[in-house]
Amino acid sequence: MASPNAVDPVGVEAVTTGTTAERPRASAADQGRSTFLSYFLRKLLAAAVSFAVTLVIGFTLFSLMPSDPVATLTRGRPVSAAQLQHLKETLGVDQPVWHRFLTFVGHTLTGNLGYSWQYQQSVAGLIESRIGPTLLLTGSSTLISIVLGLWLGARSGWRPGKALDRISSGVSLTLWSVPTFWLGIILLVLFSVGFGPIPALFPAGGMSTPDYTGSTIGYFFDVARHLVLPCLTLVLVVFAQYVTIMRSSIVDELGSPYLLTARAKGLRDDVVRRRHAVPNALLPSVTVIFLQIGGLVGGAITVETVYSWPGLGYLTFQALRIPDLPLLEGTFIVFSASIILMNLVADMLYRVLDPRVRAQ
Amino acid sequence: MTSIRNRFISRGPRLGGRGVAAIAAAALVAAVAFVGAAPADAASDKKLTVASETEISTFNPFLAYFDGELDIIATIYPSLTVGDARNNMVGYLATKWTTSSDKLTWTFTIRSGLKWSDGKPLTAADIAWTYNLVMTNATAATANGSLVSNFAKVSAPNATTFVITTKTPQANILYTSIPVVPEHIWKSKVSDLKNFKNMQFPVVGYGPYQLVGYKTDQYATLKANKDFFMGAPKYDTLVSQYFKNSDASVAALKSGQLNQDSGITATQFKALKGAKNIETYQQAPTGWTGIEINPGAKTKTNKAIGTGNPILKDQKVRTAIAWAIDRKTLVAKVLDGLGQPGAGYIPSGYPQWSWQPDASQAITFDPTKANQILDQAGYTKGPGGIRVDPKTHKKLSFRLGIHSDTTTDSQIATYLVSWLKDVGIQLTVESMSFNQLNKDLAKGDWDILMDSWGTGADPTYLLSIQTCGVLPDADGSNGNTDAFFCDKKYDADYKLQTQQFDQSQRAVTIREMQGILYNANVDIMLYYSDSLSAVRTDTTAKYMYGKPNAQGIYPLQNRFYDWRTAAPADSKSSSNTGLYTGVGIAVVVVIVAAGLIIWRRRSTAADRE
Repeated sequence: MASPNAVDPVGVEAVTTGTTAERPRASAADQGRSTFLSYFLRKLLAAAVSFAVTLVIGFTLFSLMPSDPVATLTRGRPVSAAQLQHLKETLGVDQPVWHRFLTFVGHTLTGNLGYSWQYQQSVAGLIESRIGPTLLLTGSSTLISIVLGLWLGARSGWRPGKALDRISSGVSLTLWSVPTFWLGIILLVLFSVGFGPIPALFPAGGMSTPDYTGSTIGYFFDVARHLVLPCLTLVLVVFAQYVTIMRSSIVDELGSPYLLTARAKGLRDDVVRRRHAVPNALLPSVTVIFLQIGGLVGGAITVETVYSWPGLGYLTFQALRIPDLPLLEGTFIVFSASIILMNLVADMLYRVLDPRVRAQ
Repeated sequence: MTSIRNRFISRGPRLGGRGVAAIAAAALVAAVAFVGAAPADAASDKKLTVASETEISTFNPFLAYFDGELDIIATIYPSLTVGDARNNMVGYLATKWTTSSDKLTWTFTIRSGLKWSDGKPLTAADIAWTYNLVMTNATAATANGSLVSNFAKVSAPNATTFVITTKTPQANILYTSIPVVPEHIWKSKVSDLKNFKNMQFPVVGYGPYQLVGYKTDQYATLKANKDFFMGAPKYDTLVSQYFKNSDASVAALKSGQLNQDSGITATQFKALKGAKNIETYQQAPTGWTGIEINPGAKTKTNKAIGTGNPILKDQKVRTAIAWAIDRKTLVAKVLDGLGQPGAGYIPSGYPQWSWQPDASQAITFDPTKANQILDQAGYTKGPGGIRVDPKTHKKLSFRLGIHSDTTTDSQIATYLVSWLKDVGIQLTVESMSFNQLNKDLAKGDWDILMDSWGTGADPTYLLSIQTCGVLPDADGSNGNTDAFFCDKKYDADYKLQTQQFDQSQRAVTIREMQGILYNANVDIMLYYSDSLSAVRTDTTAKYMYGKPNAQGIYPLQNRFYDWRTAAPADSKSSSNTGLYTGVGIAVVVVIVAAGLIIWRRRSTAADRE
């Protein structure tokens, strides 16, 4: 009995290639390694160029922003003209743009992200203390969105037009078009204040109960309780994109001969979908998934604001308010690097997932 | 066929595994929702949880910038003096003080027998060391340098005497108290003061509370100092929690997660009014919202700058604008009635300084009078009912700059455009960012701008931004003026009040200055909005101090007192624990049952097929 994977045309191609003679196969392996190295270096170089260009664009945009950080920072506070001048010199806002650009590049290359104007702290320290909560929130919500979205998308696409397809597409697209801030506030009011006979089920904000004195397991549950509403808000808004992509990919696969072969073997419909159709339909989703993972570190400004989640998104929003250029530049570097890195990983992963990319 | 059948049969447990996993996950979510839910985070009897005014990122008193940080710092570090219930300054570390005959030397007697939280004695030497550091170290001067800029020297001749010598007589010395830190702790921090966030807990200090913990961007935890000489706080623990939006903090108050919430909006205030177990409070205002009219921007050297409309130099035009504005309607419509119409420059939260015009001086809403003033000045109405300057034949058409991120600005602008149109003045609203508006202001590139200011108990700084001395230098830089106002009489009064040690005499001068500003109509006060807050009455009593006036408005509150005098309430609401448990069990049962049904359907799918 052949393995179910063998009915996959890609799998068949791979097996066929593997039946060549011993020596040529070793040679092909060497060539493969060389090709991979060349492919990797090209992608790495492209990533480095992307990063450099992004930095220049980012810096230019920040420089164009109308800003008077000295006036903003001292608004409503007793300051003398001498102090204002001292502050200007300290912040370096009286420096020419080219000088600020060189400082920015220097900071980036040396890993020194500078010193925040409004927080009076190192930018690296500010980012470090907030990156954990951000990854917890965006990571958990993305994971749930991916699993839920791909599962629903696969099932919807398998029987297009049926009740599940209509309901899941309708619901997910409706939620996708709902403003995140609005949905967050509604969930907050419903579940953290309570309605009718239903009491408040989840906290209104923060990541843990202040002054929590329980056990470690208790603390885990406490953080999990605080995570539920922000995570749910993000999942409800985001999972639609996975549903739609997976659904359309599955629909594209429906008429494929290898599915007919699988059915002819007597496999149950569920198995045909899960073991044969889904792996082939998964590739387009990988791009979206890795783009999403790259953006995880950027946090979710609106959700972090609604639920007072101590993350990077809100930090960026605060930086824009002044604007706190060193902090903006620091967060910009981290966000850009993260997205570019994840794109690089996705490119590499394509080679693993899809032999056709290797062949190219 | 057999192998397929076997595979098929073997899927039973796999499906079951996934089903069980799904059920377990669902049950976990339910458990998360209900296990130890309410009791863990509800405000307890001995824990006072309040909403922080702002975010908190440092406890270094030399650098702290946000109000949320400053509230805590005032609670964990002592100062020479502190504001009383009416915001008059009274002794804290100082028990009494005297001034020399030349008014340059202040000698404070320091309370003896006090100890820092680590048991070391708190003496005048700590005060002198702190003040010296702020006077001599640029980093230490970041937050409070301006308060000691007129100090020539400070010293501590003995443990209970602290002496300040000023360069010129300074009447507001009692208002310039800065947080005093323990020298033995901070001496080693001076070399890297810029990077010291003061988060080594428990923080050594002295005050009604001691800082014992902090979670980044979330909350600070403080423990009561039961030996505090003014009286121990009634709560054991104080938590100041930061909410990034006021809807969330109101939700937290409603659910009992918070004991007190401040800074709420008028809409939230109205919604909370009458809510079960919640009492809403209005406090006297500490700031104003107004418009500033460009009277002709110029430098210290009297050189005109900017693109301000020269017609606005005419005081009659500015006065007509003042008569054309209905401040009462703004309070009713924009503030929902939770404020007072504007007049004097210093808000009523500081009754010792505030000023209101008498009936003969008062400028009220009177479009007829506004039209009359403009008619008499020769500004006749032209096409479209817009008045024209008789000298330049240009229309009375002005730019109104508003903050794009302040919703009340656009509301106010709508009324202003309509009211001024009625008297023949055209306004073009220009919405811009806070930074852009500030930039235009400094360069004099504006006609009329929305403006708002708040002040502490000492109004010196707020008064200073209307003096000629803060106009820009000849090259247009280094200005700190609010509206390019410059008046010799006002400046003379400003200087006088800085040297009037008798506070009642000083108040007379400050009121006279406000009269000058009022008549100049460069800064027209539109309204003062009340500070709005709410407290859980089922868990907290006596949070507010002082007595409300006839309109039910409380005097301005100081958290230093609120957090010390607030006490757990006697009555308690019924517990929801039973309800929580019941609902929790029901949800878990439903989830598990649903999971089992799905699993059952899946495992028999082959038979059905």
